[in-house]
Amino acid sequence: MKSLSERWVSPMNNFFTVVSFTMRNKLRAKSFVVTTIIIAALLCIGVNLPYIISKFNSDSGPDKIGYIQGNVASVTEPLKAYLAAPVDGGEAELELVGYADQGSPEANEQSLKAAIGSKEIKGYILVSDAAADDFPSVAYKSESMFDSSITGALRTALQAVKQEQVISNAGLTEQQKALLLAPVKIESAQISVTDEGAGKTAEQQGLALGFVYVMIILLFIGIFVTSQLIATEITAEKSSRVMEILVTSVAPLKQMFGKITGMFLVGLLQITVYVIVFVVNVSMPHNKSLLSGWNLNLADIDPRLYIFGLIFYLTGYFLYSTLCAAVGSIVSRTEDLAQAMTPITILSMAGFYIGIFGMSSPDSTLVQVASFIPFFTPYAMFLRIGLTDPAWWEIGLSLGLLVVTILVLGWISAKIYRTGVLMYGKRPSFKELRKAMKAYKV
Amino acid sequence: MKPLVLEQVSKQYGEKTAVNRMNLEVEAGEIYGLLGANGAGKTTTMRMVLGLIYPDSGSIRYHGKPYSQEQLRMLGYLPEERGMYPKVKISDQVIYLAQLRGMTRKDADRSLRSWLEKFNITEYYNMKVEELSKGNQQKIQFIAAVIHDPQILILDEAFSGLDPVNVELLKKTVKELRDNGKCILFSTHRMEHVEELCRNITIMHRSNPVIQGKLKDIKKQFPRERVILGSEQPIQGLESVAGVVRVERLENGYQVWIQREDTAQLLLRHAMEQTTLTRFELLEPTLNEIFIRTVGESNE
Repeated sequence: MKSLSERWVSPMNNFFTVVSFTMRNKLRAKSFVVTTIIIAALLCIGVNLPYIISKFNSDSGPDKIGYIQGNVASVTEPLKAYLAAPVDGGEAELELVGYADQGSPEANEQSLKAAIGSKEIKGYILVSDAAADDFPSVAYKSESMFDSSITGALRTALQAVKQEQVISNAGLTEQQKALLLAPVKIESAQISVTDEGAGKTAEQQGLALGFVYVMIILLFIGIFVTSQLIATEITAEKSSRVMEILVTSVAPLKQMFGKITGMFLVGLLQITVYVIVFVVNVSMPHNKSLLSGWNLNLADIDPRLYIFGLIFYLTGYFLYSTLCAAVGSIVSRTEDLAQAMTPITILSMAGFYIGIFGMSSPDSTLVQVASFIPFFTPYAMFLRIGLTDPAWWEIGLSLGLLVVTILVLGWISAKIYRTGVLMYGKRPSFKELRKAMKAYKV
Repeated sequence: MKPLVLEQVSKQYGEKTAVNRMNLEVEAGEIYGLLGANGAGKTTTMRMVLGLIYPDSGSIRYHGKPYSQEQLRMLGYLPEERGMYPKVKISDQVIYLAQLRGMTRKDADRSLRSWLEKFNITEYYNMKVEELSKGNQQKIQFIAAVIHDPQILILDEAFSGLDPVNVELLKKTVKELRDNGKCILFSTHRMEHVEELCRNITIMHRSNPVIQGKLKDIKKQFPRERVILGSEQPIQGLESVAGVVRVERLENGYQVWIQREDTAQLLLRHAMEQTTLTRFELLEPTLNEIFIRTVGESNE
């Protein structure tokens, strides 16, 4: 007597029929098309946002601040000089604009207010004399509240002016002064212990961090959202009872993996669309110059990261989607699905959060341990590969564990699926499920 | 070689026996009635025939061969609980199901169109299932079961939820399929459909096949216990005739339940002494009565 699974041997074309049916239905669904378009549009906007913002800013040039000429000239004139030529060599953020003294403080303020009214300046400073040794106090007045970027810049500039004055009074030489004022430099570089010269510069590190961040979010969406969708579809097939006809037409295993593969291809297609939108937008001339202005170059990303991203997407997807398929198959009504999915939801959330919060300390024991737990490997190991330099055996071991888990869980899920799709009514307990498996000889 | 033969098929679910030593043979060009109360084991039997569940013992043979993927393609199934994708176009899903059973896309499409034409619902080709009435969904479901021209057809409650016109339409179609040599396993609770369609039947009760055989022979096994007397005048004292169980007054006559068949003759003599009879008939038991008797009696 042959076992049931052996009896379900048939040509591969049924598998592809399921794959193509799954894909066509998904691609035709309005919700899918609309979501894809909306996310692509958001991506376009997001990528171009820095350029758009810089466009708005560059028109106005440095913000203009008014002051009264001769108002404590010992402070305002050096301040004006300092703001006009920042020490770090960048563009000037602020510019002091002098206004003639009107004779009385009231008249002075009046004229400055008029200047704000006519949009000549954003705000103005008033410097009041202080006691002999004290530095004069400065007031900044403008129409907007908490203009922290301007007050911040003013504070830095005033601090510099004050230091300059104090130092000059102390009778230091020019050399000493320069030494004192020169900023301390600290450079952080990531190095590789095993591979000389494989380290990353600060810019590359920043880039890698950003890339890993984006990839972990993409992994989460690709893995979690799609596999949830699979569970939902399977439960829907069950509750609409189309399952009864399906299982008498095609082997349950083929049906399950056909659906998983179909959804995977759809997901891949969706991600490809996003990547193309992203790359096209980034390589537009205006964005390219912006990126190179920040010393960022996408080509600097380690190509291994792309490959590992794809590997972890693939493995993570199959791990979670087979589990979700099994859960979806034992639930009879879509209302009960969310509850049944809770353990899987917690697992994938945990993996995602380990990935996100582990970014600040990719070397922590938590991340290291998590990278060997198959449910977290896609996030945690990817994080480690992206930000630190795990040994090859570590990567190999974690991937090996992941693949073994996929095979084992895939096998169990397939059995559950085979049994679950025929069980209606209340959600079966593990015991009932095992009993049913025995009865169905799966 | 009979298309479908079940031999001593049994199925246990844990402690509970779902089907016990079921024997059954269906010939080509025959509609076989599978009857039973809810939970009697009909669905389990059908699922075993469909290969969804494997029997614990006994064998199921299709044209003399055991179950395999080829047999699957010969099977058509109309489940009791109707199920289609509510939001998928009818042409898409019916062609999909036909493809899964080994048809090419082109053949499936041609077959679907001819079935839609047969049922006079060609306009549904591009519609979604959720847009159809229940009866029309049923027709689509039926098409999905027969589109690949299966040799063996399993119809679970084929006519439930249909209006009389559509019942006739589907009944006619089922008869045509039978006349085309298909082998049909048919389950229903509507006994009049069984009397009209089936040659052989099995009545299942609590997992056991209790009554089996030709419908005609089964009826003969059961005593005739009902007499119709037609008369213009009232007849007195029918109740007092020995062996009478119950008397019911009809529009123009009486219906009398009796214990034994020969009571009928006494009844006839008694009535003729009083008046002229326009009608006297000793009725065969209906399948409904046989069913209720078999299933109901042992239920107590």
